[in-house]
Amino acid sequence: MLCSLWCEKMLSRFSRFGSVLTRCRPSNFCGTRLLSQSSPSGAAGSATVSDLQPSHAKESHGHSEVSAFEKNRDYHGFSQDPVLDEWNMRMAFFFGISMAIVVGGTFVHYLPDHGMRQWARREAERLIAQREAAGLPLMEENYYDPSKIVLPEGEMDAL
Amino acid sequence: MLKILIPTLMLFPTTWLVPSKQLWVTTTAQSLIIALASLSWLKWTSEAGWTSSNSLLATDPLSTPLLVLTCWLLPLMIIASQNHISPEPINRQRTYISLLISLQLFLILAFSATEIIMFYVMFEATLIPTLIIITRWGNQVERLNAGTYFLFYTLAGSLPLLVALLVIQTDTGTLSMLTLQYSRPPMDPSWSNTMWWAACLLAFLVKMPLYGMHLWLPKAHVEAPIAGSMVLAAVLLKLGGYGMMRIMFMLTPLTKELAYPFIILALWGIIMTGSICLRQTDLKSLIAYSSVSHMGLVAAGILIQTPWGFTGALILMIAHGLASSALFCLANTNYERTHSRTMLLARGLQMILPLMGTWWFLANLANLALPPLPNLMGELMIIVSTFNWSYWTLILTGLGTLITASYSLYMFLMTQRGPLPNHMIALEPSHTREHLLMTLHLAPLLLLILKPELITGWCF
Repeated sequence: MLCSLWCEKMLSRFSRFGSVLTRCRPSNFCGTRLLSQSSPSGAAGSATVSDLQPSHAKESHGHSEVSAFEKNRDYHGFSQDPVLDEWNMRMAFFFGISMAIVVGGTFVHYLPDHGMRQWARREAERLIAQREAAGLPLMEENYYDPSKIVLPEGEMDAL
Repeated sequence: MLKILIPTLMLFPTTWLVPSKQLWVTTTAQSLIIALASLSWLKWTSEAGWTSSNSLLATDPLSTPLLVLTCWLLPLMIIASQNHISPEPINRQRTYISLLISLQLFLILAFSATEIIMFYVMFEATLIPTLIIITRWGNQVERLNAGTYFLFYTLAGSLPLLVALLVIQTDTGTLSMLTLQYSRPPMDPSWSNTMWWAACLLAFLVKMPLYGMHLWLPKAHVEAPIAGSMVLAAVLLKLGGYGMMRIMFMLTPLTKELAYPFIILALWGIIMTGSICLRQTDLKSLIAYSSVSHMGLVAAGILIQTPWGFTGALILMIAHGLASSALFCLANTNYERTHSRTMLLARGLQMILPLMGTWWFLANLANLALPPLPNLMGELMIIVSTFNWSYWTLILTGLGTLITASYSLYMFLMTQRGPLPNHMIALEPSHTREHLLMTLHLAPLLLLILKPELITGWCF
């Protein structure tokens, strides 16, 4: 279905851009800006002299007074072909917004707490509240209780 | 690692075998799927240090944000180039997309390499596709000159690095980042060691670029097509910062004394390039110089070597990558309509393209570091750590932020406000594609406000 639609559209393909300076009709000869009905040559095998020019030499973005919307009222900026244009737009939005931003953002949001940093923060805040309520200093001078530290004895003697 | 590398490799057959009509839509979709899959790198499985599936390729909190940024940039480059490249013959379009894909491949391998020599090879390999993109698809004849500058500045800077790496290999017998941090003996400040120190950093300082070695960058940016500018600003410059952070731990006792002139040069560069921005007439050149200015701050943050400096540098690199790439895209939408980069010739665009004016406003705010964007967080952390090093740096950094705000305002006023020139009669309206492109740039930046720990690196 889609293929047949594409074929139809391809037959009636209408080049808006790149049309003023087509290879058979240089713009110099045109008193007014003309709209060519020829499709742009896409096949590499049929390269002509004009194909070898840089694209910006023959394209006419913005300079032509051809309406971008003449054959494609809902032009999204993806393709000249209206069907392909809409299809491309939907794919880009689906994979860009729905998948990458929304699904990806959800995945990233629910990642496990790396290195227990968030836990450590929560724990610290809880401890501060607890110690302040009890009127204790936030941190003891000795991080470890000196009475609980058992130092090895006689190690040097053993050596 | 292979879950990203193989799909990226398979983009080549996709590009060359897909029917010509579906070329852009297929590559966009596939690269976006790769970008989505790359988010799984953010799930670090080790509590500290490297997460790796083999000993050659590994990720850690420092490289992962840059890797995800690399994967995110490819679909954006494809979407941005679509209007510019699609009128060309089909094989040329395929070649262009293939070059962008090869760039992503090399960048992934560079950022995830654990062997420094592999990082070096990939660092150099990215030059080739970038050079072809600039010199083949640039807009003017000056692109050849820009390509020469780009290639020779970077090559001349990085050859001493190769020699320095060979010295390390001879001394320690390894170039693996996994083991080297434990085996490198401290060095005395002899002349040969000083030279070795400079050789290790020069390549990255040129790539960043540090003020004084930056002349290739504005040329390359101005002449490159949109995808070239985007990847250059967003990822390639970050190779310099990443390389510096990686190699810094080996230079420990020497850097403390030797880094002084470079820190001052970087901070001075912020002022100088910011001032250059204030009198630019060329839109892309202005954005390029603003990149140099921001990367000066990153270089200072890294050379200070404090945890806050490193974290700020990484945050600023990611945030600047997204913001400057967005600005280049906006400059390109203007260029595609007016065919000029001169700001005077395209004033008052807010009247014709109001929604684009809004995007300009948002992208400018991101570039000048509006709170609470990550740009501000990165800048603040670097400014605080340099202030802690020496109070006097606050004059330079403070003046730098003031100038950044000034040239951002200048850029916004020159492009969006003012009278509409008479020659602008038939501009195309803005398209869905361009709005999508801007959304895909700025949405991650806004979302990063909510979870900044993804891009804080090792230190937090």
